[in-house]
Amino acid sequence: MNWKVLLIGVVLVVPLVVVLALGFGHDPRALPTTMVDRPAPGFVLADMDTGEQVDLAALRGKPVVINFASSWCVPCAQEHPWLVRVARDYQPRGVVFLNVLYNDEPIKWQGFLARYGQSFPTLVDPGGRVAIDYGVAGVPETFVLDDQGNIVRKFTGPVVPDEFLPLLDGLL
Amino acid sequence: MTISLLGRAAVLVALAACAIGAVAGLYGGAKRSAAAEAWARAMAGLFFAATATAVGLMEFALLTHDFSVGYVAEVGSLKSPTWVTIVSLWSSLEGSILFWAFVLGVYAAGQALLTRKRFPQHSAWALGMTLLVGVFFCYLVAGVANPFTLVDPAPSDGPGPNPLLQNHVLMVIHPPALYLGYVGMTVPFAMGAAALLAGRITPAWSRALRNAMLVPWGFLTVGIILGGWWSYEVLGWGGYWAWDPVENASFLPWLTSTAFLHSAMLMERKDQLKGWTMTLLMSSFLLTILGTFMTRSGVFNSVHSFTQTPIGPVFLVFLTLMLLFSVLLLAARVDKLTPPQEGLSGPTSRDTWVLAQNLAFATFTFTVLLGTVWPLVNEALSNEQISVGEPYFNRWGVPLAGLIVFLMGVGPALPWGRATPGGVLKRLAAPAVALVLTAIGCLAAGLREPWPVLTFSVSAFALVVTLAEMVAPGVARWRARGESLPVAMVQATVRTRRRFGGYIVHLGVIAIAVGVAASSGWRDEHQLTLLEGETAVAGDFALTYLGAETVQESHRLSTLAKFDVKTVAGREVGQLAPRMNVYAKMPMNPLGDPAVHSSLAGDLYLTLVSVEAEAGAVSVEAIIEPLVGWIWIGGGIMALGTIVAGWPSRKRSRSQAAPTAEQAA
Repeated sequence: MNWKVLLIGVVLVVPLVVVLALGFGHDPRALPTTMVDRPAPGFVLADMDTGEQVDLAALRGKPVVINFASSWCVPCAQEHPWLVRVARDYQPRGVVFLNVLYNDEPIKWQGFLARYGQSFPTLVDPGGRVAIDYGVAGVPETFVLDDQGNIVRKFTGPVVPDEFLPLLDGLL
Repeated sequence: MTISLLGRAAVLVALAACAIGAVAGLYGGAKRSAAAEAWARAMAGLFFAATATAVGLMEFALLTHDFSVGYVAEVGSLKSPTWVTIVSLWSSLEGSILFWAFVLGVYAAGQALLTRKRFPQHSAWALGMTLLVGVFFCYLVAGVANPFTLVDPAPSDGPGPNPLLQNHVLMVIHPPALYLGYVGMTVPFAMGAAALLAGRITPAWSRALRNAMLVPWGFLTVGIILGGWWSYEVLGWGGYWAWDPVENASFLPWLTSTAFLHSAMLMERKDQLKGWTMTLLMSSFLLTILGTFMTRSGVFNSVHSFTQTPIGPVFLVFLTLMLLFSVLLLAARVDKLTPPQEGLSGPTSRDTWVLAQNLAFATFTFTVLLGTVWPLVNEALSNEQISVGEPYFNRWGVPLAGLIVFLMGVGPALPWGRATPGGVLKRLAAPAVALVLTAIGCLAAGLREPWPVLTFSVSAFALVVTLAEMVAPGVARWRARGESLPVAMVQATVRTRRRFGGYIVHLGVIAIAVGVAASSGWRDEHQLTLLEGETAVAGDFALTYLGAETVQESHRLSTLAKFDVKTVAGREVGQLAPRMNVYAKMPMNPLGDPAVHSSLAGDLYLTLVSVEAEAGAVSVEAIIEPLVGWIWIGGGIMALGTIVAGWPSRKRSRSQAAPTAEQAA
């Protein structure tokens, strides 16, 4: 037995195996977000159609879905018709749905809504301040708030129907 | 229903064949039992037949859309075109493990056939080891990754395979090439383990080992290049290599096996570096297993790891066992291998430079491995997720690659054994002039980026050496024998075919080095937003936007933006139509499909960013990449060289089978 070879081999192999084994149980794709399980940043924004001011704090007591989207974003276009349908089902049951327009012009967004449907209000976010508060990195991103105004879930990219609907049901 | 049962039966037969064959082979090796070895050979044949049957059944089930078979229900779709259906076999975990077992069956049968009656001390051990690895993969197919599960009631249609994998025809050849490379590493590993188990390496075995490595090495090379090409053609960012964990996973065994192919020359010629060469050999196999683990475990964050599966822990156990087995085997047996008769020759000999090349490759391997697992180490230590990105890999990889190209120039210019300094200077003078001239030429042409210019210069050096070495045997023969020059060339080349093939491979490497240096050094990106009819300029090209169009196919919906492309000088180049494909399986996540105009001088690469049909506007990214096509051409040249070097020579195999007959004649 060549002990030197054995020692070098073990020194190289054991840490590698330990590191690989420790890797289990982590989801490498999960983006760490500090937003979840915390109160959602408050905002007062104007409704694009009516001009009315919408205050998030006034919605306390109801679950809220905030969807950041833009007309130039292809996944948004694909997600939107489905969201519109879901909102039609859930708004009567007490869930509030809001679009926050991200980096876009209302005129283009109106064309988008005409094409893909509308069942909930769009808020205009001048300068993208609310998007910054929410740490939005790209569109679409969707935040789900419980009736206490805490963020319970963040979807990066289009919402995942299989997770989204049970989540809403659970909040009601 | 029947297919599930038959498939499962075939897999169980394969598992039994491997288990019996492994025991028979190892017993036959230990006891020198010809009868046991014959059993191992027969079992290798049965392993092949059973896995071939299983793969055949799976393809039949895919093509007939038999959704009662679990794997078909998972990746099949009535809407998929036939070619997608066929390649679905390796589009997802269970199918690719089945395919893996089949490829191992092919290799095992080939090994059984080719080592028959030729290497009495080693062949039984080696076959036993190959089949032992086969046991693991058959166990996977029979257990955790069973593709033949029964789905009852059977669904009427399935989702189809991952859209990324059906976006381009290269998916037909890239994964099989990579698998042939990965799986094929089992054979040289088994042969190396056999040498250690037997406690000796004969010259014939060492030659056979090198040939056994050439086959998977060639496939791995092709697989890696095709992978780069695929990501270039499909992913839409205009790159071909991102130091992604899965890419690194294929690169690591390539590095060690390339080092092996060179150190094996020293082992064969000079009886040197045996322990080191065996270490490289075993590492190559172990790194393929590590690579598969990376792809399939879901532990690494990669664009290529398409699945998160329960297979990870099983694989880790196998990897651990194999690592420990290899370390123990090396430690126990390395001293038994006969020590070399003479030491390495001095710094002007090729021996020394092969060693230097080996050190460069080993350093490269360690660097890439460290960068790949570092995020895991960091997360284990500090619970923070980081990614070790391109900057780390490029900082180390670019100089190392440059050094390797340089060594590739110097090494072959030097003779084996002792050389006189005067002779060395004479051999290196012309390439050195080429190096300096290229550097001056680059600077004169206004090229200032240090790494590309350095790469060009070093490549010129290596090119001159390689070409000189390719014609040298012919010229020597022409001078010595008075044959006409072409006859002497052909004769000498045929006689030194393995060497000649090796130099063809080096030419391919030079082409790749130049392509990588130019396309990364002078990459030129333009973000263009155009209205219909408008023209914009990107580099030497003028693009006119003609309009968008939507095309519906059975499995996808595509938006095309059409461009008319001319050179700035006005020469017509043609139409390019980058597209955005939306697949039925991932309606929320459209995939870009870039359009590329390729020429030997470089590519124009268009990626669709967004289309606003109503406004008649389009945003497109236009990337100019000089000489990028030479990377794929270089890959082709490397494959050609490997074939030239590794093509079985009838004469040699006869002389090995019956050396006395030839000596008598």
